[in-house]
Amino acid sequence: MSLRDWYPLALSRDITPGTSAGTRVEGHEFVVWRDAGGAAHIWEDRCPHRGMKMSFGFVRGDHIACLYHGWQYDSEGQCRHIPAHPDLDVPATIRIARFAVLEAGGIIWGCFNEVDGNLPRAPELPAATTPVRSLFIDCPAQRLTALIADIPFEGSAPNVTTRTGRIVGITLGDNVLIAAVQPVSGSESALHLIATGALESQHLKQISTWSEQLRREVEALTSKDNDGEIAA
Amino acid sequence: MSNPVLYNYDLDENCYKVRLLLSCLGIEAETIAVDVFPGNEHLSPAIRAMSPKGSLPVLKQGDLVLHEAEAILAWLARSQKPDKGFLPNDPDTFAHVMMWLAFSARELDVAVRARVTAMMDAPGDIDALRSGAREALRIMEDHMTRQHFDDVEYVAGARATIADIALFPSFALSRDYNIDHDAFPALRRWARAVRRIDGFITMPGIPDYH
Repeated sequence: MSLRDWYPLALSRDITPGTSAGTRVEGHEFVVWRDAGGAAHIWEDRCPHRGMKMSFGFVRGDHIACLYHGWQYDSEGQCRHIPAHPDLDVPATIRIARFAVLEAGGIIWGCFNEVDGNLPRAPELPAATTPVRSLFIDCPAQRLTALIADIPFEGSAPNVTTRTGRIVGITLGDNVLIAAVQPVSGSESALHLIATGALESQHLKQISTWSEQLRREVEALTSKDNDGEIAA
Repeated sequence: MSNPVLYNYDLDENCYKVRLLLSCLGIEAETIAVDVFPGNEHLSPAIRAMSPKGSLPVLKQGDLVLHEAEAILAWLARSQKPDKGFLPNDPDTFAHVMMWLAFSARELDVAVRARVTAMMDAPGDIDALRSGAREALRIMEDHMTRQHFDDVEYVAGARATIADIALFPSFALSRDYNIDHDAFPALRRWARAVRRIDGFITMPGIPDYH
């Protein structure tokens, strides 16, 4: 895997302590989970026992358990308990690949390579942000990033102020937003939306409505692109 | 009054809605198992005398015979333990509950069909059904996203209603028809809130976490 960069995976708010969720980057499957102490973890989404997705499982304290046979792994990815063999001293070879994780701007970011000291520079985001929502869209990440500016908000076009890698700065009416774009697969993306400063519920709802329109229009355009390719 | 009688198939999500509400209300029901797959017992004359299409669940209480999960949920919530608030009297909340019950019966029907096509050999275009189901789940996701902006945890307000019970199975069982929960963070939070309702029970396909 050569995904040696920081990829946005979820809003920090949406992975509460003691919960997990599956996600994909360029089609590779990962589990994002947060232990009871509040630390986020990103692992390969696969139990080494029978290949079950760890994201189907559940978190207890600082362990995540596989739903299939209850094998429990500690926060280092090491299997610590096999319910069918409660007295077994679990071999050190039974472990799950872990990846580097950081939280910035209210977003969980992962870097996918073996955990070592050489990580790319962390994404630079303001400290005071309000999470809006994550939105999953059937559109390749690059195309989505290009289309964001085209979907009007209450009659006027959004103003894209910055584009740095996967981070797009947008002014939408009076709101200053940041969209972090996750390349889920070759045909799907996730847009993780945050706002700078504090926003009231009424404004969050307006932004949400805009983002739903964005999803509709972008998917309609992408579907047209694909029909064109088939016709060609 | 004698206990209600539920004609039930354990793998049917509409039957699960009724079992779930009965459990949340703390009501004992007599359960009669109907062998839907592979037995097709729901199409027998005895069931069709109560439910013309042979759809489950069917609930009987004395002379009253009800089919359609939404109607049964409403009747149980109103007649058995109205103080539990699963069908609120306040007109606005009541109307929102009705709106989402209609959504459950109409928009989520594709999700029910996607699951029986994927799992029980029922005829259907699985890709079209799955795509329709995803569209419906997205509408629920957008709704719960708005509720959460106001720190409201349930579909029709701060407390669980039969709308939550009616909508829950299609999301909780979506992996049965190959839609993962990855793309629905607001529904994941809502599903955790549903699991916190007193009396919550699971069905096959909805894991108990222990």
